[in-house]
Amino acid sequence: MIAYFIRRALLIVPTFLGITILVFAITRVVPGGPIERMMLQAQQMQGREGGKSTGAAGDSQRQPLSADQIQVLKAYYGFDKPVLVSYGQWLAKVLSGDLGTSTRYYEPVWLMIRSRIPISLYFGLFSMVMVYGVCIPLGISKAVRHKSVYDNITSVVVFTGYAIPGWVVGVLLLVLLASHWEIFPLGGLVSDDFEEFTVIHKIGDLLWHTALPLTAYMLGSFSVLTLLMKNALMDNLSADYVRTAIAKGLSFKQAVFRHALRNSLIPVATTFGDNISIILSGSFLIEKVFNINGMGLLGYESVIDRDYPVVMGILVISSLLFMIGNILSDLCVALVDPRVQFSHGR
Amino acid sequence: MTFSPLTRKKLRRFKSIKRGYYAFIIFSVLILASMFAEVLVNSRALVVRYQSRYYFPVYSAMIPGTGFGLDYPYETNYRELSLRLQAEGGSDWVLMPLIPFNPLENDLRKDEYPPFPPSFKDSHFLGTDTSARDMAARLVYGFRIAIFFSLTLLIVNYLVGVTVGCAMGYWGGKFDLIFQRIIEIWTNIPFLYVIIIISSIVVPNFFLLILIMVFFGWTSLTWTLRTVTYKERAREYVLAAKALGASDFRIIFKHIIPNTVSVIVTYAPFSVSGGIVALTSLDYLGFGLAPPTPSWGELLQQGWDNMDAWWIVGSVIFAMILTLMLVTFIGEAVREAFDPKLHSTYE
Repeated sequence: MIAYFIRRALLIVPTFLGITILVFAITRVVPGGPIERMMLQAQQMQGREGGKSTGAAGDSQRQPLSADQIQVLKAYYGFDKPVLVSYGQWLAKVLSGDLGTSTRYYEPVWLMIRSRIPISLYFGLFSMVMVYGVCIPLGISKAVRHKSVYDNITSVVVFTGYAIPGWVVGVLLLVLLASHWEIFPLGGLVSDDFEEFTVIHKIGDLLWHTALPLTAYMLGSFSVLTLLMKNALMDNLSADYVRTAIAKGLSFKQAVFRHALRNSLIPVATTFGDNISIILSGSFLIEKVFNINGMGLLGYESVIDRDYPVVMGILVISSLLFMIGNILSDLCVALVDPRVQFSHGR
Repeated sequence: MTFSPLTRKKLRRFKSIKRGYYAFIIFSVLILASMFAEVLVNSRALVVRYQSRYYFPVYSAMIPGTGFGLDYPYETNYRELSLRLQAEGGSDWVLMPLIPFNPLENDLRKDEYPPFPPSFKDSHFLGTDTSARDMAARLVYGFRIAIFFSLTLLIVNYLVGVTVGCAMGYWGGKFDLIFQRIIEIWTNIPFLYVIIIISSIVVPNFFLLILIMVFFGWTSLTWTLRTVTYKERAREYVLAAKALGASDFRIIFKHIIPNTVSVIVTYAPFSVSGGIVALTSLDYLGFGLAPPTPSWGELLQQGWDNMDAWWIVGSVIFAMILTLMLVTFIGEAVREAFDPKLHSTYE
């Protein structure tokens, strides 16, 4: 068992190298990097100083930076070396704990990421607690009343939640509740005079501001989990051991809660590890819709701005989290289900 | 085409699941109707009777205004022609489609700024977007593009995914191990980021976007197919085929894949809705199909920017919910029909 997890942990290394090298190579091959942006900026500045710009036609003649300057810039950003060499340099820096400096904001990447973590953590943890709090009871009640009117009606709701992506619901909520009826604020995390509030008022204010994005986050995952819970419990309810339990005189309720439920939580536990990456990296579409400055939006904006050190930094963190989350999922399964043996095969 | 008794049983079971079956019928009708969208939503007239001759502008070449006695050489404005002929009161007439706008034309007015709210008087049943283009027309053509995009994506994705997955499960060993790692790397790459990077350099057209998305999305089915093939390979019929001298190629495509069809079919509806959502997300961010292609994502973006124009967001989201719900209901029914789980219930 321990050997299995050690092997899994070791397999992180080649996968991590593969992911980062691929994205690193893409950021290299693709035009529009920091140097191009600088040349464009310099050109615009020149154009403004010159009074009028001659437009795109004059691009090549009025190259604002000399060849030497471009060489210096290339050396500064490490663009003068082959991809593999500069990848090696980048990797060495990452391994020593330095994610580099943003080419747009000239701030250390790690600081930029760290300042976003609390926000993503808030949404991630909150929605996770809510999702598990809603899904497990809902799944149980749907399984117990399979094919009843209640089951059918909630199924329609669950399928709606499954079909519509969270960020689309977010847009709808924003237009209806925030813009049209003005029940909730349009954006922001707290009110302007947040500092003067009492603690309870502060919590209320935060919840009021974040209710809509939280709903959008929740809708994204609650359907899958509810159906998983329901199906797992139904499978167990038709198993022989539950029939035995009922045959020996246990009430249906006792059979469900003492026997079937515990086994049905196993598949739910397997999803637990996936949360770690969702909690921290969030969904950039939802963050974009609600203008939340979380990790997701940081990643999206850095891609748009061609801020490659930030893109790579976020990739490092999110891919590591994802892979650790996968292993954690397996560990959860092994913990809740003593029958699971990882030693052979798989 | 004949089906095996087993398949016929599955189809019967699918029909008996009312919610999914009716969703399937409605969805098919919608797709069929969208193929003839030119007849339903168009700025060209269906039929024009002019000086006792009949014209069918929808499926004919462009008819200049001079052809109907108007004083301009560019394409006839059939809405104005209709009003004129009515006013003249002769036996000439124009029959316009249900929604007399095409998705690209701007119906601008004097002294007013779009978006215009829905109005039956102007035939803008769902209002207009921020460039005064008819919402209903853009929704219909956007639906057509999204559906055919997603279906093409599905076919190409599954071709690649099924082939690779089957090969992995069939040959196993080193080949399997290497592809396992590749897939693990592939699924970990934030492919939306990569698509954004690529499409900010080259503005993708329909097929280029599909190519890019297949490049990063083929892994979705590979894993499942690998497991299924792995199981099938151990069955006797594969051994029998091998003993008879069938090649690996023949065994995979003639024997194993037909037996995995039920798995593929079960996943298909969910891939369709996934494709629609992916295209909408990209268009919403502005990295999908180039404007002015009618697209739901672009409309969502407009609606998000102009929240007072509730009819934009309202009609797009209604259309999305309707479409995705239909697909999900179909998917759920297909899953139940092809992979039934009979549960015992207690009284």
